[in-house]
Amino acid sequence: MIPVQHFLLLGALLFSLGVYGVLSRRNAVLIILSVELMLQAVNINLVAFAVYLAPDEFVGLIFALFVIAVAAAEVGLALAIALRLFRNRTTANVDEVDSLRW
Amino acid sequence: MVGMEHAWVLPALPFGAFVLLMLAGRYLPRRGDLLAVGAMAASAVLFSFVLADLTDALAHGEFQGVFSGTDWLKFDTFHVRLGFYFDRLAAVMLAVVTYVGTLIFVYSMGYMKGDPRYGWFFAAMSLFAASMMTLVLADNLLLLYGAWEAVGFCSYLLIGFWHERRPAAEAAKKAFITTRIGDVGFLIGIVLLWREAGTFNLQEIFRFAQEGGYSTPYLTLAVLLLFAGAVGKSAQFPLHVWLPDAMEGPTPVSALIHAATMVVAGVYMVARTMPLFQEADPVALDVVTSLGLTTVVLSATIALVVRDVKRVIAYSTINSLGLMMVALGAGSVTAAMFYLFVHGFFKALLFLAAGNVLHATDRQTVDDLGGLARKMPLTAVAFGVGALAMAGLFPFAGFWAKDEILVAAREYHNQVAVAVLWVSVALAALYMGRLYTLVFTGQPRDRHVWEHAHEGPPIMVGPVLLLTLGAVVTGFLAFDQVGEALGLGGGIGQFVYLEEPHTFHMPWGEAIGSTLLVVASLGAAWAIWGGKGELAVQLGKRLQPLYLLLWNKYYMDDLYQWIVNRIVLAGGAVVAWFDRVVVNDTGVDGSAGLTALGGWLMRQLQTGKLPNYALAIATGAAVIGAVVLVSRM
Repeated sequence: MIPVQHFLLLGALLFSLGVYGVLSRRNAVLIILSVELMLQAVNINLVAFAVYLAPDEFVGLIFALFVIAVAAAEVGLALAIALRLFRNRTTANVDEVDSLRW
Repeated sequence: MVGMEHAWVLPALPFGAFVLLMLAGRYLPRRGDLLAVGAMAASAVLFSFVLADLTDALAHGEFQGVFSGTDWLKFDTFHVRLGFYFDRLAAVMLAVVTYVGTLIFVYSMGYMKGDPRYGWFFAAMSLFAASMMTLVLADNLLLLYGAWEAVGFCSYLLIGFWHERRPAAEAAKKAFITTRIGDVGFLIGIVLLWREAGTFNLQEIFRFAQEGGYSTPYLTLAVLLLFAGAVGKSAQFPLHVWLPDAMEGPTPVSALIHAATMVVAGVYMVARTMPLFQEADPVALDVVTSLGLTTVVLSATIALVVRDVKRVIAYSTINSLGLMMVALGAGSVTAAMFYLFVHGFFKALLFLAAGNVLHATDRQTVDDLGGLARKMPLTAVAFGVGALAMAGLFPFAGFWAKDEILVAAREYHNQVAVAVLWVSVALAALYMGRLYTLVFTGQPRDRHVWEHAHEGPPIMVGPVLLLTLGAVVTGFLAFDQVGEALGLGGGIGQFVYLEEPHTFHMPWGEAIGSTLLVVASLGAAWAIWGGKGELAVQLGKRLQPLYLLLWNKYYMDDLYQWIVNRIVLAGGAVVAWFDRVVVNDTGVDGSAGLTALGGWLMRQLQTGKLPNYALAIATGAAVIGAVVLVSRM
């Protein structure tokens, strides 16, 4: 059986990738993608702990399914915002979108 | 039956007229003047009934006074009544206010005819009369003070009635501010009296003082502060400067202010609180006497050179008020109130007769008048009677009252006062003789004006003639027989007194002496100003420094102007600088600037760029995570 540490390492790697993407990318769509990466890293952790700690129950797995459903809704919303942004500003670069400060 | 307990209705009537005129005046026929005059006349009639009730009570023995009214403010320990107190002193004062006031109201219907603010005039006059009656009847100092200020406010409204004219607006302001200076003292005095006695009620304060509740220096200070209010209101030196300027108001207003309301309020208030003055240190009454004497000398001499007809009468009023104060200072409430009573009639007469002249000629200074007796015989006779009453010639009203004051001063053993009063008698006859001579005799100085002069309408002549009658007969109230015939139980000495009634005895020394003096002065006036008045011109040149001193009113107005310009305004500039620089720029603007600076600094954190926020969140999460980890280890 693969030790749980491998899964946790994979999750941490995936999460760091996501954080790096959110911080470094300027394109709104890519930022949304990176956020999705972070969510999937969390899902991996959830599933791994669920299998290792309580293999006979499905609590952790159902929780992961919920995260996927909510993430899908969130992506729909976020992409819609990105789309409107592009329609209005002809750009998806978040550096150029700062008119809501102050 | 209407009795003394209904005295509170007296001020309520003109006050009701005021409210109605303010609310619906423009919808009433003739702008509602008949309502105002009617309310005033109703007050006079009602007062006659109340007076009848009073004489009835007097006939049945001992009488103190009757309270009426209702609660005003009521807290645990603090209780003030909207209370009215009717006694003999109030009766004398109310006789002047209601009777003379009614005649002035009637006269106003003629004098103010065609004025664009005709209705407003009657509304303000009604409020004026109502305030004065409240002042007279108030049973406590707080109500008295309120009415006192209302009287001052109404005088402001009415002196500045023609406020489009700058002098009128300034005179109104001057009257209000000058009297306010005294009023501040008055209010402090009231508070001092209340602090110890715990009540505003006058009779209770008197009792408290007579039982020795106040220490003498404390009470002396309090009554002197009360007197400060009277100095302002009754135009005593050094706060007399507003009264001559108050002549900018319409003539009926001058008559009302000088005869029935406002200026005599101060005399009345001192007479009312005389029990306190008597309990205080004698120095208090000495102050009253000396200020009264100063006022007498000042006004009587200035009146000799003033060329404005109404202002001469104004100075004669100040002169009379000084006489009343001297009488009060001598402790003779009887003499003061007797003079006040007859003064109300002959001063109103003088003003209304002068108003007739103004109305007919539209001129105010003697330089444009002269020889009017041939054109306006009735007014000339009326004015002559008023002038003789003011001068104090037998048998006119002023004669009896003035002699009473002379006697009071003699019995008070104040040689200075006696000497000054005799001089003032001569001066009063001199300037009243001068005024009559200049206006009604000799050749007209302005032919055109003279030819257009004519007697006024009956509604203006009628009240003047009635007041002429009053100026002749009211003086005889000094006699017990006359008073008894009227059912007053005796002359004025039996009616108004402080400690014990006193019977009028013909003071032969004063009577003969003053009559001779008055006749001589009138003759001198005729000789100096009669005919072409060459002697007056020569005297003016010979005594030029004196003439200039009088012409400039002893430079008191200039002194006050200097004080205002140099001291008050300079002080104001300092305060304004402090306000602008320290309070506003440093305090208000400074703290606002600090806040803005803080806001600006904090704002720099908000870039609005998504990556910055994301980095902040990530860093924050990392730091929190690190802290949690470290604390676990």
